[in-house]
Amino acid sequence: MNAFTEKVNKIDRRDAKLGMAHFYVAFIGLFLGGMAGLLQTLVRSGQFTLPAGIGYYQLLTLHGVVLALVMTTFFIMGFQFMAVSRTAGTLTNKQRKTAWVGFWLMTIGTVMAAVMILLSEASVLYTFYAPLQAHALFYVGLTLVIVGSWTGGGAIIMAYVGWRKKHPGQPSPLLTFMALVNTLMWIVATIGVASTVLFQLLPWSLGLVERVDVAISRTLFWYFGHPLVYFWLLPAYMAWYVIVPKIIGGKIFSDSLARLSFILFLLFSIPVGLHHQLVEPGIDPAWKFLQVILTFMVIVPSLMTAFSLFATFETFGRSQGATGLFGWLKKLPWGDARFLIPFIGMLSFIPGGAGGIINASNQMNQVVHNTIWVTGHFHLTVATAVILTFFGISYWLIPHLTGRILTKAMNKLAILQGILWAIGMTFMSGAMHAAGLLGAPRRSAFSEYGGAAQAAEWIPYQIAQAVGGSILFIAIILVIYIFINLAFFAPKGEEEFPVGEAANTAEKAPMILENWKLWLGIVVLLIAFAYTIPFIDLIENAPIGSKGYKLW
Amino acid sequence: MAQPGLEKRTKTKVEDSSSLKGTLASVFLLGFFLIITWVGVFLLFLNRF
Ligand code: HEM
Ligand SMILES: [Cu+2]
Repeated sequence: MNAFTEKVNKIDRRDAKLGMAHFYVAFIGLFLGGMAGLLQTLVRSGQFTLPAGIGYYQLLTLHGVVLALVMTTFFIMGFQFMAVSRTAGTLTNKQRKTAWVGFWLMTIGTVMAAVMILLSEASVLYTFYAPLQAHALFYVGLTLVIVGSWTGGGAIIMAYVGWRKKHPGQPSPLLTFMALVNTLMWIVATIGVASTVLFQLLPWSLGLVERVDVAISRTLFWYFGHPLVYFWLLPAYMAWYVIVPKIIGGKIFSDSLARLSFILFLLFSIPVGLHHQLVEPGIDPAWKFLQVILTFMVIVPSLMTAFSLFATFETFGRSQGATGLFGWLKKLPWGDARFLIPFIGMLSFIPGGAGGIINASNQMNQVVHNTIWVTGHFHLTVATAVILTFFGISYWLIPHLTGRILTKAMNKLAILQGILWAIGMTFMSGAMHAAGLLGAPRRSAFSEYGGAAQAAEWIPYQIAQAVGGSILFIAIILVIYIFINLAFFAPKGEEEFPVGEAANTAEKAPMILENWKLWLGIVVLLIAFAYTIPFIDLIENAPIGSKGYKLW
Repeated sequence: MAQPGLEKRTKTKVEDSSSLKGTLASVFLLGFFLIITWVGVFLLFLNRF
């Protein structure tokens, strides 16, 4: 690429500021949440007790909320704004202002929720299941985070609509298309969690109503909770499909295939929340099974993604003269952190996905339900596949936004960080999977369970988790160090925002993929099909409901 | 300008550069991994429930 296009492809300074604001919050959250994670593994090893009256479940709530809800959402919103600004053009003033309003709403909400957790008024874990009852301000804070993300989502929709108006009959730029799909999915999904918070939990925590229907609130939570994991994953897929091919010097295997897989994720990631409630009473097993089938549909776009990535790598390797069955592997740029870190993420998604299929397999869920296996599973998916990809993105995006460069030394440090993460997570997540199969519960501080023989079997695995957690924490310190370097100290220069091109540029993506009336219509139909009767059942057979409990 | 003779340098014959057999092998390996792990836990399930 010549110097001229390089200049043109630089994100506008005002948009860059917006992106950086999101990333500051995300990385502060990463540090706080990572520290909590380390302490959790130490407590669970049995060798350490928390000082100063800090509660284990308080810490675990902080960890889950700050990492899974806050850090991810801020990073994703920031990344999607930057992806849209880069590929669909600089945001208009109105769009940027809307995005800033969203940012501040989310930030105020985050501070409110975090303060309530720190004051020990909200140790309800990041799923905030009733009948555990938090302080009302915790729910208000979460509501603001969601409303803020809708506002930001509005800015993305406006940018997309603006682009389409200016380019009639043309498919939107791939990254913009993908950011839009994720935004639409997020808005449809968060309606569930917003409903339970606004109509059930908030009035109940304020004392306006005495009792809450637990089954309905959990069902509304998981209507949101499963698409939440795809909200994390799709931005990583944006990097895998579009950015990584450019970094290695190759091409996107197929633009249309990438779009189709995103549409399939939009369709099948929402009407499946009951797979988190497979062992719960009050829901007809037939409807659970229907949602299990819909869950398995998500395997289709996942395998499409795997195929497409392998094909991108192999095509590139062969274009460089690779031969044999796996010779192309040798041609990949292993020394480039922008490639290696997301690649480790891709690899970890293989056992992550395998575990997910097991979790969702109806009766088989009993083997793993509520065991620490589940925690091991999502530390592979979100806390490795997704987050390593986010780190890999940061290593070029932060310097791109701050007008600096990733130096050779920082690149090396970043590679060390990725390798430490892989090692630490192999210990921690591996031990969690194993202990879970032996029955060890998740969400549990250290206990010998009255000297039970079975519980004694778990302890060596808990020590292995603490070893892994300590290695992971070192990796987190490295990430923070690199982030600060890239944001404030790295040498001035121009770091590229890589955007891949399709292998076949003549192939124009079918316009039907941008027909949102059609796709959102199918989304609504699928949701109505999967959830109407279960909700009618839950409402018709509702018990008197539960009072609130504060068990901490 | 190309020098005479340069273009005649023979390249050892390479296999079809558009082959995706490595991709095919990879997705098969991935599929086997999914099946093996699933069957492993399924056997635990049969033993326990
Ligand atoms: C330093 C790295 C990390 C360590 C050492 C760590 C450790 C842990 C441990 C030990 C637990 C389970 C405790 C229990 O069930 O009693 C846990 C739970 C959890 N972690 Fe992490 N984790 C790390 C990074 C992350 C990241 C990056 C994310 C998300 C992006 C994440 C998300 C979660 C969530 C959502 C839970 C579940 C909380 C709950 O059950 O309410 N963790 N973590
Ligand atoms: Cu799920």
